[in-house]
Amino acid sequence: MSAVLDTLGERFAAYLTKSWKQPATTLHIEQIPGGASRETYRVRVSIGGQEQGLILRRDPVSSLIDTERSLEYRTYEAVFPTSIPVPEPLLLEEDAVHLERPFSVMREIGGCESSAQSLAAPPYQTMRETIGRRKWEILGQLASLDLSELGVDAFMAVPDDPARRELEHWSKVIADDALHPQPIAEAARRWLERNLPEPSGRFALVHGDYRSGNFLYDEEGVIRGVLDWEMAHIGDPLEDLAWSLDPLWSWPERELAGSLLPREQAIGIWEQASGITVDRDAFRWWQVFASYKGLAIWISSTEDFVNGASKEPILAVAGWLMSDRQNRILVDRLNPRSDHAYAEPIV
Amino acid sequence: MIPNPSKALVDLAMKLSTGVLPEIGSPYAAANAGMTAVLLIMLSQDSERAIANRMNDIDELKALFADAAAFPDRVGLASFVDAEPDSLLLADVDRLHADGMRLLIDLHAWAESHDAGLDQEIWAFLGRHADRNRFDV
Repeated sequence: MSAVLDTLGERFAAYLTKSWKQPATTLHIEQIPGGASRETYRVRVSIGGQEQGLILRRDPVSSLIDTERSLEYRTYEAVFPTSIPVPEPLLLEEDAVHLERPFSVMREIGGCESSAQSLAAPPYQTMRETIGRRKWEILGQLASLDLSELGVDAFMAVPDDPARRELEHWSKVIADDALHPQPIAEAARRWLERNLPEPSGRFALVHGDYRSGNFLYDEEGVIRGVLDWEMAHIGDPLEDLAWSLDPLWSWPERELAGSLLPREQAIGIWEQASGITVDRDAFRWWQVFASYKGLAIWISSTEDFVNGASKEPILAVAGWLMSDRQNRILVDRLNPRSDHAYAEPIV
Repeated sequence: MIPNPSKALVDLAMKLSTGVLPEIGSPYAAANAGMTAVLLIMLSQDSERAIANRMNDIDELKALFADAAAFPDRVGLASFVDAEPDSLLLADVDRLHADGMRLLIDLHAWAESHDAGLDQEIWAFLGRHADRNRFDV
């Protein structure tokens, strides 16, 4: 371990000792990639003589997505008792005095992979259909959960018009963060404004970033934890479905959504699990919105990399590479004479 | 003067990927090294074409603006058609390019409801613009 990690591990152990009123020792700590909105550490600790694996997520100096840590943590708390697999939330600490910045602690789910790229390679390649079926089944189950039973309506706003609210939010992100005029994003925004769907009246807990890469899976094809709930909100469940199917998440392999299943099969599984029949007109809007929201995030990442305190490479990869791809997807989706080289026709 | 800087960036990316990354023990540091190598390749591609791409866009925008005779706010478009960058430094080319893209946004919004042919021409331009700025990594 480096001196910096040694110090972090010692301070973390001191914090656990105080919080859990048992002697804690950090046996090993390492920073791990992923979870771009927080610094993520895998920690082996001894608590009262018993060894445990924990995940420590600390606020970064600068983040890919500006998010509210307590909202994310409370969402984990709400979802953990349900059939949706998530890591067990253990601690939320908002006082920066302990580890210099606020942080949360989850129980580690070991023996899993999360990389989207690994889905296309052995040993997971043969499990893609199994993982895919489960992926959209879980998303359908999430759409069917009762908000009051979950308790998320106690700390999340219920919007009158989810589509309009989301569009306004991400349009502001682009307006605030774009470093150069964005004619493709602007054309998309105008299309979205012209074609806003009527509110469906159906509200669900929306994960906000449900895609390959944001869940843990094992060699048996079991999804053992859905991660990264920092953009969770109450909204229209079609938002998550559309986001999960964006061509960006299977780039450049168009045939399999999320590199897992054909799109229509994924939609069918989601419909069955959610009990909701997809309104194709509204879904067209949510698909364009998904690409627009993606572009907003990548534009914001670019701005963060250029002007922010953090120079994490993930910010530049997201900002430069994903902006390029998402721009091509949006042109493909909205150009009336598109040859659909990058995105399927929206039907 | 650095000869062939775009090749130098690719060579450095390869060195990072094959000579440095395998020796890194920390998964976090290794991921950062891998991403930095990808970014070096992207910088190589973009540094080679940045000025040419923006100048291509500017030339195409001038042609689009010259054709937009019915657009009510002709003054801005006409001024852009006659403009040249202060120099071929990227910052100067970028400034004129940004001016053109801002005008394009207004023109496109107008064309959507007034000129279907121009709307289509603009979409074709946006497709070419996106394609010539693509990264192959």
